[in-house]
Amino acid sequence: MAEKKVALEMHNVSKSFAKVENDEVTHALNEINLHARSGEFVSLVGPSGCGKSTILRLVAGLIMPTTGKVTVDGKEITEPSPERGMMFQKSTLFPWLTVEKNIAFSLKMQGKLKGNEEKVERMLRVIGLESFRNDYPGQLSGGMAQRVALMRSLINEPDILLLDEPLGALDAFTRMNMQDEILKIWQEKGQLALMVTHDVDEAVYMGTRVIVMDANPGRVVADIKVDEEYPRDRSSKAFVEYRNEILNRLHFGGQR
Amino acid sequence: MSFKNPQNTNAQTDRPQQSRLTRQQLKELEEKEKTAWQKALDWVIMVLPLLCGGAAILEYWMIPNGSPNKNPYTYVGFLAVLAGLYLLYLLFAAGKKFAGDKSVLDKLRYRAPLFSALFLLFAGYDYLTLKTGVLSQPFVPCLNYIINIAWIDRAYLFECTLHTLRLLFLGYFIGVGLGLVTGIACGYSEKVRYWINPIIKFLGPIPTSTWIPIVMVVATSLFKGAVFIIALGSWFAVTVASMTGISNVDKDFFDAARTLGASSRQLVFRVAIPHAMPSILQGCTQAMSSACVAIMIAEMMGVKAGLGWYMNWAKSWAAYDKMFAALFVICFIFTVVTKVLDLIKRRVLRWQNGVVK
Repeated sequence: MAEKKVALEMHNVSKSFAKVENDEVTHALNEINLHARSGEFVSLVGPSGCGKSTILRLVAGLIMPTTGKVTVDGKEITEPSPERGMMFQKSTLFPWLTVEKNIAFSLKMQGKLKGNEEKVERMLRVIGLESFRNDYPGQLSGGMAQRVALMRSLINEPDILLLDEPLGALDAFTRMNMQDEILKIWQEKGQLALMVTHDVDEAVYMGTRVIVMDANPGRVVADIKVDEEYPRDRSSKAFVEYRNEILNRLHFGGQR
Repeated sequence: MSFKNPQNTNAQTDRPQQSRLTRQQLKELEEKEKTAWQKALDWVIMVLPLLCGGAAILEYWMIPNGSPNKNPYTYVGFLAVLAGLYLLYLLFAAGKKFAGDKSVLDKLRYRAPLFSALFLLFAGYDYLTLKTGVLSQPFVPCLNYIINIAWIDRAYLFECTLHTLRLLFLGYFIGVGLGLVTGIACGYSEKVRYWINPIIKFLGPIPTSTWIPIVMVVATSLFKGAVFIIALGSWFAVTVASMTGISNVDKDFFDAARTLGASSRQLVFRVAIPHAMPSILQGCTQAMSSACVAIMIAEMMGVKAGLGWYMNWAKSWAAYDKMFAALFVICFIFTVVTKVLDLIKRRVLRWQNGVVK
């Protein structure tokens, strides 16, 4: 439990984007209110265009809200910080750096690499890619690349972990493996995790909370607490009920 | 339920070995075994350059000359040295193979036909010039003449070569250096691009040679003028290439780097520039070819030294053998320079290996 406890708050947050092709403006988010704290695993599900990725980018500090406030422990977010680690759907590993250097990138940028080489070592060990340390990302499989990307952001021991459809591009088996790996890391460290996903099963399997969103304008339609022990059984009655509940909220229901 | 699984026990001993395979070993392992006939053919092909070298010497020595020849042994010596070098290469490669490393010999086998062709080319050229005069003497001198004169005039040729190299690299590095600065600044900053882009658009399409008359009038020395012309051409190529390279960087890389704590300075130097490296190096190669063109034009039109000037000077004295000698030196230098650039490029861009072919 190295990380400190934090509380994330989004207060009446709206975000609009100007379209490139004409003068119109898209309203990605409308009056979002959200509270979450360390130890929670919040899954965000919803159709495309509902602004779930926008929420992550706002929390990351990559973009600023049009109106409203995003705060961590009462302090407004104004820029990206290694304390809020982010993992993208594309691995975004730097192709010109080896696996090892990719993981060490953040420490190097902050001038903290000296004396922390052992941290990089530990990260490599966690994902079992020690023998791939000198390989370039182009030589890795999709699952390996995502593992490296995860470790690259975890090396800063972030208080908040932002996962933007991190497993979306992986095959089903790798995906299930990595769900467990991510859960294990989260359970050990007890950060606040926010994960965007298209997959309702994944949302229920991993989240302590599932936030269901809808588009035009992007808004929260349900905030469902998942009260189940980990590891969860995907075929249990409770699991299926959660799943159906969420699918109903997304207007895909009908199976009762 | 106690049946043995033979694969399981094997896996324990086999796996580590498999994981330790090098690329070369893997290739050999998966390659189809060559038939005895194919192997024999390979050896014939590898020895063929020596035979062709012998043939070239015989052609030169046995066929009567169509025009007078001086110092006839020089050309023979030249061919013998080339053939000797090939023989050393062959012996070295064969030795390596018996020591277990097949890769050198494979490469030699791949190159051998070209070496053979080179010797045949020499023989053919000699036949067309010295023997039959189809290419009339002394306007297209035979190789023996060219090598002789290159040797006799070596001190002066060397001096000219140094002058050319000095001019080339001075202009090239000034151009590339400035080009990197403007290109990267333009690619990254909208404001810089606003001011620099019109200059590029205006100056870019003008061929380098257009500047020569102006430079000859304006510049305080022709050397400086030539440096300016070469630098301008290189500057343009590098600026455009690095500008495109930088502005094409995937925005996701910037986002990722920012969440990892990179400052805006680091975004330029640690993300944008490495990402644009393939494009930048492409620009450097282009700059070199433009510099090579520019230097020859400059030396032939104004500068009073260097290989281009030597060629022109030799022409005006009707010393055609000198002209060809200088031409070969120029070819050689430019080949070496391009090769070196290529090696640097491969080293810097080794992360692209296997990703981009």
